[in-house]
Amino acid sequence: MALLELRGVAKVYQQGRIAVPALRGIDLEVEAGEFVAIFGPSGSGKTTLLNLIGCLDKPTAGTLVFDGVELIGLDQKGLAKVRRENIGFIFQSYNLIPVLTAYENVEFAIRLLNRHDKRELRERVMEMLAAVGLEGLENRKPNELSGGQKQRVAIARALVKEPKLVLADEPTANLDSKTSEEVLEVMVKMNKELGTTFIFSTHDPRVMEYAARLVEIRDGLISSDRRRDGAVVSH
Amino acid sequence: MDFIFRLALKNLTRHRLRTFVSITAVAVCVMVVVFTRGLVEGMVNSMIRDHIYYNSGHVKVVDRHYYEQERLLPLNHPVDGFSRKSLDEMTADLEGIDGVEMVLPRLKFGAMVSTESELVTMTGWGVDIDKELKFTSIERYLVEGRMPSPGKLEVVMGTKLLEKISRGVGDKVTIVFNTAFGSFRGVTFTIVGRLHSGVQLLNEHVVLLPLDEAQRLLYMDGQVTELIVAAEDLGSVPQVLASIEALIAERGEAERYQAISYRDTSDLIAWLDVGKIVYNCIYVFLILLACIVVNNTMLMIVQERTKEIGTMAALGLERKGILQMFLAEGGIMGIIGSLIGAGLGAGLTAYLARVGLDFTADLEGLSADVVFDAVVYPESSWTNTLFAFALGVMIVAVSCLIPARRAAKLEPSVAMRDE
Repeated sequence: MALLELRGVAKVYQQGRIAVPALRGIDLEVEAGEFVAIFGPSGSGKTTLLNLIGCLDKPTAGTLVFDGVELIGLDQKGLAKVRRENIGFIFQSYNLIPVLTAYENVEFAIRLLNRHDKRELRERVMEMLAAVGLEGLENRKPNELSGGQKQRVAIARALVKEPKLVLADEPTANLDSKTSEEVLEVMVKMNKELGTTFIFSTHDPRVMEYAARLVEIRDGLISSDRRRDGAVVSH
Repeated sequence: MDFIFRLALKNLTRHRLRTFVSITAVAVCVMVVVFTRGLVEGMVNSMIRDHIYYNSGHVKVVDRHYYEQERLLPLNHPVDGFSRKSLDEMTADLEGIDGVEMVLPRLKFGAMVSTESELVTMTGWGVDIDKELKFTSIERYLVEGRMPSPGKLEVVMGTKLLEKISRGVGDKVTIVFNTAFGSFRGVTFTIVGRLHSGVQLLNEHVVLLPLDEAQRLLYMDGQVTELIVAAEDLGSVPQVLASIEALIAERGEAERYQAISYRDTSDLIAWLDVGKIVYNCIYVFLILLACIVVNNTMLMIVQERTKEIGTMAALGLERKGILQMFLAEGGIMGIIGSLIGAGLGAGLTAYLARVGLDFTADLEGLSADVVFDAVVYPESSWTNTLFAFALGVMIVAVSCLIPARRAAKLEPSVAMRDE
């Protein structure tokens, strides 16, 4: 069974009396452990698709099954639970909480789970910060970190709770090419070591080189879906 | 929850000046509430207390005709016991009623003193000195000399009255008055003491003399114009009043004697209750003013942190958690502000409760009928401080609900689009 399954997913935004379709019937299956890049021009619907997969928004039509659970029928609380327990997010602008240190930002995600005791929690957070190469920087606040370091904190925050899926919306858009590579390497490493499924949106061809599967979106529809070796993925 | 609280605390350090201004606004308003409430309580209680001490007692027993003409101080409608038998027996009967602490006889009469240029009018009070000292705070006002002794032609007067007649302690004064038979009489007394009080009545109008001398000089042996009943406390007054009325009726004197509660001898007392309600509304309004500042701060915070709220929601923080976080931020400002305000207010009130606020100059023209001490001592009490603190915290917390709910209702995907 696929980790993620979308069938006929559409999203229409209402702007006054005008209906603006952002997605017009997406069919997509993602297996556990995949490293998927969604690409396409600006306004093609990449962020909308990630928002729907990440339970941040609800589709206008279609079905969305995550890990065997139909998401359409869930209320706000149910969707928050899915996000909290199973999905990690990495944002283009890092979206770290400025008053918290690197450690506390990572801790925030795991705190919400209420699962770990204090010692265990500390070990886990420190381990994750070390895994993304931020050892010794745990007490720095976001304004004391470089762009690449901030994104590493965001990666650690997304992965610390061991989610089944990590969604990254243009994670390297604000980084220079060298830092982008470093960040992507961290993501690939985590994908391999932890087996976490990654789906990220991008329009940077260099970034796409890291993906094992490339899904192209144009005008709210999937225009191509193929693996790195060129094999077409059928839905 | 403790994490949310810690986060709220950290959030308050983002814009320290803004947080400081919000806390200061709450603190100033709570301080004003503590002080104003203490001042109003002090004024109201002092007015009631002085009214009871120097006018009505908790309950006053008088002849019905006397009460109708009380302003004229008539001597032909005295209180002289049940069936005119014995004033002492009547006093003892009244003192036997549950809740009655003591009964004070007072014999009030009009009097005057002639000076070189004018006739100075005054009110003579023949009183049982020992009982007056026990019941009232008159001794507090005795700044010179002593109280008059029974059986002697001695008087005590207020500073202002002494100034008017150009006399001092140790001087002689001839006081002219009408006796119970309507005859004119002049008697020379020795001034043995001087009262200095913020109560205009005591300062300017009353001349105190021993009851036995007053009765003898006015030809009113065994008679007084009123019996002042002192109850154990204000709460027992209705029950004491009912018992006195029952006793009067039982003795067949309901046609003649009337018992009146302190509440019914001054229109001002009822107005003071209305005043208290009005002031309570003003306190709430004052705190609401501070809330506008806090509310505005919170709305700005929500506006500024919209994207962050979206991120937290995306990470799985439920609406309840977001609500708690913003309520905690507002609550912390409310608690700190209220704590500082309550502390400063309590300190200021306690200081002024000791030294008093002198309004003598402002109340110069006030009628002596209003028995009111022009030196006001605000009442410093824990209840008052706690009331203002709780009011501050509660209203600030409630006012934060609107911005907190606004934050909690943000859709994560929409919030994160905010720039």
